Amino acid sequence: MQAVIKKAAILLGMALLFFFFGRMDSAFYQQPVGEVLSQKTSFVSDSQDEHGNQDQSYKQTLKVKVINRSNKVVEIENDYLSSKAESSRYRVHDQLLLSKIGSQYQVDMPKRDSLLFGLVALLLTGLYMASGRKKFSYLTLALVFNAMLFLSVVIWDARSRSLPVLALFVILAVLLSAIALVFVLGRTKQAFITWVSTCLATLLALVAMALAMTVTGGAGVHFETMSYVTQVPAPIFYSQAVIGVLGAVMDESGDIVAGLFGMQRESANRTFSEYYKSGLSIGKEILGTLTNVLFMIFIAETIPMVVLMLRNGNNWSYILDQAMNLGILQTVVSALGIVWAVPVTAFLAARRLTKEKEVAK
Amino acid sequence: MNAILLLIILLFLSLFWIGKKQGMLTFLGLFLNCFLLFLLITLVNWGFSPLVVLVVMSVLILSVAIFLSTGRSRVLTITWQSAIVVLGFIICLAYLAEYLGYLQGYTLENSDELEGLSMAVGIDFSNLAVIVMVISALGAIAEAAMAVTADLFEVVERTPEISLKNLKKQGQVIGSQILGTAINTLFFGMLGANIPLFVWFFRLHYSLAEFLNAKLLIFEVVTMLLGMLGILAAILVANYLVEHAFAKEGREILNESDIYVD
Repeated sequence: MQAVIKKAAILLGMALLFFFFGRMDSAFYQQPVGEVLSQKTSFVSDSQDEHGNQDQSYKQTLKVKVINRSNKVVEIENDYLSSKAESSRYRVHDQLLLSKIGSQYQVDMPKRDSLLFGLVALLLTGLYMASGRKKFSYLTLALVFNAMLFLSVVIWDARSRSLPVLALFVILAVLLSAIALVFVLGRTKQAFITWVSTCLATLLALVAMALAMTVTGGAGVHFETMSYVTQVPAPIFYSQAVIGVLGAVMDESGDIVAGLFGMQRESANRTFSEYYKSGLSIGKEILGTLTNVLFMIFIAETIPMVVLMLRNGNNWSYILDQAMNLGILQTVVSALGIVWAVPVTAFLAARRLTKEKEVAK
Repeated sequence: MNAILLLIILLFLSLFWIGKKQGMLTFLGLFLNCFLLFLLITLVNWGFSPLVVLVVMSVLILSVAIFLSTGRSRVLTITWQSAIVVLGFIICLAYLAEYLGYLQGYTLENSDELEGLSMAVGIDFSNLAVIVMVISALGAIAEAAMAVTADLFEVVERTPEISLKNLKKQGQVIGSQILGTAINTLFFGMLGANIPLFVWFFRLHYSLAEFLNAKLLIFEVVTMLLGMLGILAAILVANYLVEHAFAKEGREILNESDIYVD
């Protein structure tokens, strides 16, 4: 029990340490950073929009100390609605990034880096405690390395305007999965089979989607509803599908391959169909929960927009088309990848395991 | 013919071909969870307390995700218990993150999609942000808890003479393996969901200060971090619950009259 309390205290301590570091790093900022000393909120008006939604608007007068500019105290006004869809209600001790227009300061955005640092510290400390130094360094190294590789491809894509986006991200996916698997499994035969199955299953899902799009002429798919588009949306969507499903397929293929290699260690005298069948039964046990992981991520993102559209008097079928369309499509394509990875992996691993035996004879 | 519908039919057939009965249950589970999410959105839209709706719907979604899987019923029960405990932890963290980080709503970058929409809709968007963070983590929590519990039960089954001390050691090893793969699943899922946003940030030359503070990006990163913390917590809690059950009942935990055989 005491050990648990000690660990919890260390976790909390690290999170707080980095949180407070985030609150004290304003000297590194070029733009003015302020801390709210006091606030006065006054009610402005009730409002009702054309759909009958009632809301209240408020005005805040904030006394803000500009902490990286000689602690000058300024007054800033902030308007917010009680729905806070595009505004926030600030509290005393909040730190805000400010912008100066003329002699007047304005709130640019709340300072969120302390939250970010605190959570990252909490997660890293927790991972370290749970997995020990060696596993921890492998895991974080793989994550950091993959994140950097991903970001450099994104930067490359953002800088130039004529890159073949999909090809670029497909190559990236092949590299990312190779790196992640080498970090987890080492440069082993198991890792190699897992890698080949992952790439193959993902490719199959992609081809299935492309075929479905061609056969139906893309009916019912609204790429134009994608947010933050700066380039042609369709290739970007395919790229998202490839990268998004990668982790889940690797997880699944890895489990199947590990299971079948384990069988071989127990007794090497098995037929292809024995391996293949066991591969299928390992796979179908996990494919449900894995599909759910991605489903939740892709659909949850759409919730605020769906609520907003509902409140604006749109009906469900329009919302499904406009706000949830691509989330659902990504879920289905990913699910196809996850399902097909099972026979692909089982086949490749079974083939490999029985072939070796023949050679040995 | 609608392309998405065609792919859904293809998914249904593939699940049936590979999974037979279990495949059908998976498909049913996805549909039920879809329905529960619609229900969640509708109830929040009608003005029910978001916290209550979130808790109830999350419990239901976890139940569907867990109990429609194959496995010993004891494995499923322990998985469910772990997932519920972790759910509580993640809801608290999500509220804390929203309180400290003002992660709700939209920014200037969204102006295009918001054109023509009234923003004064009388629903507190900070609650919606919490809902997004929690729902995003649910799948990962269920998956991690299930993997740990199932693997530990297999260890107990394969090793007749296993002691509690050895089981704990195995739990550590299995836990850290699952941690790696589960975090990868979530990591790539989140990257894959946000490519246009990342490209946007780099194309428009955002400053470092904006990368560390901008709402859109920080919200996605915080959602991912909460999911990873959820995975970590799920592994620890599931480990603890299996060990606790083993300490109390020994190998009796394997003996169940209602083992579900596929």
